[in-house]
Amino acid sequence: MRGLDLLTEFSKKAGEKLEPKNIKIDDTTLRDGEQTAGVVFANDEKIYIAKMLDHIGVHQIEAGIPTMGGDEKEAIKAITSLNLNCSILGWNRAVVSDIDDSIECGVDAVAISISASDIHIEHKLRKSREWVLESVRTAVDHAKKYNLYVSVNAEDASRADMEFLLHFARTAKDTGADRLRYCDTLGILDPFETFMRVKTIIDIVGIDIEMHTHNDFGMAIANAIAGVKAGATYVNTTINGLGERAGNASFEEFVMALKYLENVNMDIDTKLFRDLAEYVATASGRFIPTWKPIVGANLFVYESEIRASTTLKDPKTFELFGPEDVGLERKLIIGKSSGSNTLTHKLKDLGYKIGEKEAAELAEIIREKALLLKRALFDSEIIDTFNSYMGAKVSKTVSNGKGGQ
Amino acid sequence: MAAEVKERKINIIDTTLRNGEQAAGVVFSKHEKIRIAKMLDEIGIPEIEIGTPAIGPLEREIIKEIASTDVKCRLFTYCEASPENVKIAAKCGVNNIVLNISTSDLHIKVKYGKNRTWVLNQLRESISAAKEYGMAYIVSAEDATRTDLEFLLKVLNLAKKRDAYRFRICDTVSRLDPFRTFLLINTILNTVDFPVEVYNHNDFGMSTANAMASIRAGAVSLVTSVSGIGEGTGNAALEEIIMALKYLEDVDLGINTAKFREIAEYVAKASARAVPVWKAIVGTNVFAHESGIHADGVLKNPRNYEVFEPGEVGLTRQLVVGKHSGSHTILHKFKEFGIELTINEANDVLALSRAMAVDLKRPLFDKELMYIYKDYEGRKQSRTAPDEDDA
Repeated sequence: MRGLDLLTEFSKKAGEKLEPKNIKIDDTTLRDGEQTAGVVFANDEKIYIAKMLDHIGVHQIEAGIPTMGGDEKEAIKAITSLNLNCSILGWNRAVVSDIDDSIECGVDAVAISISASDIHIEHKLRKSREWVLESVRTAVDHAKKYNLYVSVNAEDASRADMEFLLHFARTAKDTGADRLRYCDTLGILDPFETFMRVKTIIDIVGIDIEMHTHNDFGMAIANAIAGVKAGATYVNTTINGLGERAGNASFEEFVMALKYLENVNMDIDTKLFRDLAEYVATASGRFIPTWKPIVGANLFVYESEIRASTTLKDPKTFELFGPEDVGLERKLIIGKSSGSNTLTHKLKDLGYKIGEKEAAELAEIIREKALLLKRALFDSEIIDTFNSYMGAKVSKTVSNGKGGQ
Repeated sequence: MAAEVKERKINIIDTTLRNGEQAAGVVFSKHEKIRIAKMLDEIGIPEIEIGTPAIGPLEREIIKEIASTDVKCRLFTYCEASPENVKIAAKCGVNNIVLNISTSDLHIKVKYGKNRTWVLNQLRESISAAKEYGMAYIVSAEDATRTDLEFLLKVLNLAKKRDAYRFRICDTVSRLDPFRTFLLINTILNTVDFPVEVYNHNDFGMSTANAMASIRAGAVSLVTSVSGIGEGTGNAALEEIIMALKYLEDVDLGINTAKFREIAEYVAKASARAVPVWKAIVGTNVFAHESGIHADGVLKNPRNYEVFEPGEVGLTRQLVVGKHSGSHTILHKFKEFGIELTINEANDVLALSRAMAVDLKRPLFDKELMYIYKDYEGRKQSRTAPDEDDA
């Protein structure tokens, strides 16, 4: 029962009201987003995305990995020379030469990334904890000489020993780092554990925390929100949730969840979400699923009778926000679960009138048709079906009339 | 915490065939529905919703046909609670039914044009009808998360008193985050002791997290769908729930997860909706590694970047060579092709591969890697050739 009490306590604490002005977005579409297997942005695309993110109201853009050199470095230089309002951050390993490459690109902020879990330290870095801390000290020292804003990224923080993670965080803070990025590199935390771990770091070390979450178990957004509730002030997002494997916390989902579930308005122009999502989808060669939260085209498409006709009466019945809030449209489609109310409404939109009894009959015909076609009907098909049904009715009445004579 | 969850038996009721098909534009044909029902049964899903009889004769025919197969899982039909709908459903050969009714004041007013008393009466009458036909029934409270708690408890108590099989809480508009989900379910269960299941939507990308939070709070059953297919943004994805239970909560339901990819592909084809390569658990990219650091880490030890083996969900690991690749990936790839490169050669091939990937705006096919290598070898030889002439 103790466990349940603890969760209840977390949940109550997590339910407290958030301070809106303290939460900032550090978007990593251009870094972790592009690091996705199979995704490559052209440099002009990167520049365009950076401009859009700045315009929409993002606080910081993680623009890439300067030490990769070549095109990557050119793109970052081009972005820093745009003189955008937002901060531009370069990603680095905890290596001095990496940071020098960042400095050369003209960024005002650097992320210094190194693994904090024993499993990574042993099997990936093949070093020791002390070596990790020393690398952090050296790299932060170097970056601070150039007055850069410094985020120390604790990679695989979720599998790190808590004691060591606190040590890691304190080392970063004492060396002058501005924040600690909590990386749930494998996406293995649940919101309760996230809340507990992040709160512990904040309570004990007292450093600004940024959440970097992955969606491997579908919990990227929930964990980002949990981190923020525990006191994290930065969230590392990507447009459409682009990112390695199952991706990162999606920018648009996080902003809307914060706004509509937590009552925190970040002053981000959400009306541009669909545009932004489409641009990144094209540039990354990845479609936007029609069911994608916030920006999927199907989000405000209604088919089933009860849901559709109820929404027509009052959209609030099934929507917490309207399509116009995210650059989408509300649509009614006619298919296998449509009924007479929605059909009548649709026909009216198309310029046709139908009686109640006729609508019920026609709806039956249309449902069968949709089942045969294995899809919803196009407007032209609805009109055709309507015309042939009305035609048949007329000729039937006519022939009946004749028979009567 | 996990231990408490572990001790309980968690039920899954999959609604791919009901709410999944209710997704705008999705229509399953009869043979597809039967196939999906059989697949879900085969991997060990205990309960499935197979359709809404009130939709029409064709739907009823399909439901009857599924009911006449030899699937072992418990089958449910679904209806908007009314005696007429129960009567229609009773003729389909399925003995379990979900009686759905909206409980929020907004829904009661707009959807029904009625009041709370009407809701309770409608439910009572529907329950009586279900009992008359000898059906077990789940009472499903639509828009429960925007319902006045006192009224919700009243509906729950009614369900309990009339021996409902379970009570379903629907987060119809994705109103809750995991913490509020926990508090709500916990409060309900502290007030009324009854088996509760939770139905989530994914409007803010939190369906899986909310489902897991409700399990932690004491819910005993979750409503899922394959790949999360469903109205709007869809429901909690079956494969995410099963794997999250297994790896985050240490609860193994004994589902044959190796079939997850296959089922996801089948449902994708039947619904004409692709499985995004990045789909959690079943997307092909989940085990694809490109960036130097990650790929190198995986080669050293898969546990560096993977929680479970790809085979466990019917996938395979891939190393992708592209813009972010490192020399270790190149060495490993060519070893697979049967070619041992030196570090210097690997670095040269890497530089050429990265440049080509940036030009093409995509990672490279194995064949292209071989072309790069052959060109590179060719140039190396022609560079040494003149020397030989001189000699």
